[in-house]
Amino acid sequence: MVPVMKERAAPLIEVRHLKKSFGSQIVFEELNLDVFEGEVLGIVGQSGGGKSVLLRCLNGLERIDDGQIRFFGEDVTSHQQRALRHVEASSGILFQDGALFSALTVLQNIQVPMREHISLPLNIMDELAYLKLSLVGLPPEAAHKYPSELSGGMRKRAGLARALALDPKLLFLDEPTAGLDPIGASEFDQLISDLQATLGLTVFMVTHDLDSIFAICDRVAVLAEGHIVRSGPPQALAKDPQHPWIEAYFCGARARAVQGPVDI
Amino acid sequence: MAIVGEEGGLVAPASGVEMRPGLDWHPVGEGIALRIFGDWKVRHVRRLASEIRKAKFANKRSQGAVVDVDMGGLSGLDTAGAMLLLDMRDHLLAQGYEVALRNLREADKTLFQLISRHPREKAAAQPRRSMVLGLVRDVGAVIVSLWNDVVELTGMVGQLTIALFGLLLRPWRIRFTSLVHHLEHAGLKAVLIISLICFLIGAVIMQQSVEQLRAYSAEHFSIDMLGILALREVGVLLTSIMIAGRSGAAFTAEIGSMKMREEVDAMRALGIDPVETLIVPRVLAMLIALPLLTFIGDIMCLAGGAMIAAQMLEIDLYSFMERLSDSVEIRHFYVGLIKTPFVAVIIGIVGTLEGMRVRGSAESLGTHVRASVVKSIFLVIVLDALFAMGLTAMGI
Repeated sequence: MVPVMKERAAPLIEVRHLKKSFGSQIVFEELNLDVFEGEVLGIVGQSGGGKSVLLRCLNGLERIDDGQIRFFGEDVTSHQQRALRHVEASSGILFQDGALFSALTVLQNIQVPMREHISLPLNIMDELAYLKLSLVGLPPEAAHKYPSELSGGMRKRAGLARALALDPKLLFLDEPTAGLDPIGASEFDQLISDLQATLGLTVFMVTHDLDSIFAICDRVAVLAEGHIVRSGPPQALAKDPQHPWIEAYFCGARARAVQGPVDI
Repeated sequence: MAIVGEEGGLVAPASGVEMRPGLDWHPVGEGIALRIFGDWKVRHVRRLASEIRKAKFANKRSQGAVVDVDMGGLSGLDTAGAMLLLDMRDHLLAQGYEVALRNLREADKTLFQLISRHPREKAAAQPRRSMVLGLVRDVGAVIVSLWNDVVELTGMVGQLTIALFGLLLRPWRIRFTSLVHHLEHAGLKAVLIISLICFLIGAVIMQQSVEQLRAYSAEHFSIDMLGILALREVGVLLTSIMIAGRSGAAFTAEIGSMKMREEVDAMRALGIDPVETLIVPRVLAMLIALPLLTFIGDIMCLAGGAMIAAQMLEIDLYSFMERLSDSVEIRHFYVGLIKTPFVAVIIGIVGTLEGMRVRGSAESLGTHVRASVVKSIFLVIVLDALFAMGLTAMGI
């Protein structure tokens, strides 16, 4: 197994003094965040609190007003084309509903990043795509289906296969378990955790799902009032919330059901 | 396959520096000593694959000989690299070699195990049909879809009639807000573009007919010609084609995207009739807007002609209108106008029906928007031709 680095090396992503607003509505102010190599980081926060905006900012899909974002030690704030291409090739992203290209089959979807960023012989590209398909738990028959012919869970798996196409070091997930049934959700959690361990991925995950947080997250960062109010292992946050929103989140009725009868 | 793990016998390369990956080999007795080194990563796969192909060691057939693979120099491995190595190993095993892996890092071993658990072969491809059979099948499919069009269009006319009669009995159920919205978008906002194209075409017709009729010194008849042409055909055709492209496509796209997001199903589930809420207001808006737009188109066509007449024939506006009212009977105007309700229903029904046929994907939306525009323009022209033949035969 790839050593999961618990000791803190230089962070893979560094966010410093991030500021972002839409018109007069301020989304982030003074947002600081580190993502370390080999960890699964969960971002929690209120609906509409800017979790997805943060993910979009990190991926360069949303312009930031002020601050700095560093990927692998390289500043990507300037949105220079070269820096971005490097980031695109070394990170993968899974959107909420997969965001597969509807005009392409699943196999072609997985091959899009391979065609775009590197050149591979066709037979190897096919073989690799079928391997990714199997890695995310889809049968080979799904390869020639179109996204509209797949169920929600299968679309997410296919989206994950596309995100993993180039063996990224960094994987962004936007609410990976939203819309899945509990069995499907826990299978998906397990899948992410297995792939993370064997492929040595660093996972940045926006989520609402308490089950996934306690099942797979090494660390949770809480986004409230426009910045990260706290971060730490989920158990630690649940034990000692220090913030009303964190307390409501981790110590509410649903959270207690997840953690079982623990003394808080 | 034997994996001989030897931990610790490995000097880690300086981190951050990517080593150029590759392989080298030399024969050792019966067998082969193979050394794998560098970063076996997806970016280098093309070159690595060709290096493996070039190394012809696999062709030296010798049963039971050992290939000793030293993985000590491997500094990085991802799924693509692991896949390539496993493919090479499988190939060697199939040649009758025995393969022993040495100095494999623990992390890479896990990756190998993961990859070897997963199938990498293709799914059975669709059997290819012969070209003749494909042609026959395509022709058949076109005929079936044409027949479906006829059936569904007829069905839609029926549904619409029922809904309209229902609304005749309960007029308060007409969605006035929606109707006004569509009147604004399909009617009011189209006035400018329709005025413009009709004015230009009117001017062009006038200019050309003056030019041609001048040879017979009959240029003053060009006003008669323009009057009849504009009122009977050009005004209504130009307006209809413009509206079919503009509003028909919009109808299909609006209803189609509602269909994609299951909004139409939600309406049905809430007991709301989609025909009454989505289709009737649009068709009614067309029925009201198209005659008005056609009227504007007619006037602008004549205005364009008048402008050219003033230039080329030196006839002022007053004389132009006098000539027009003397020589062009009012029935020509009625003939043009009588076609508009039929055209309106065609554009409305085709546009909304194609919208209702949209399924899941964005591609399907595109296909149906295109089909909507093509079909409604085609049907408008066919209808116009039928009217032209019928009314002329009747002497109107």
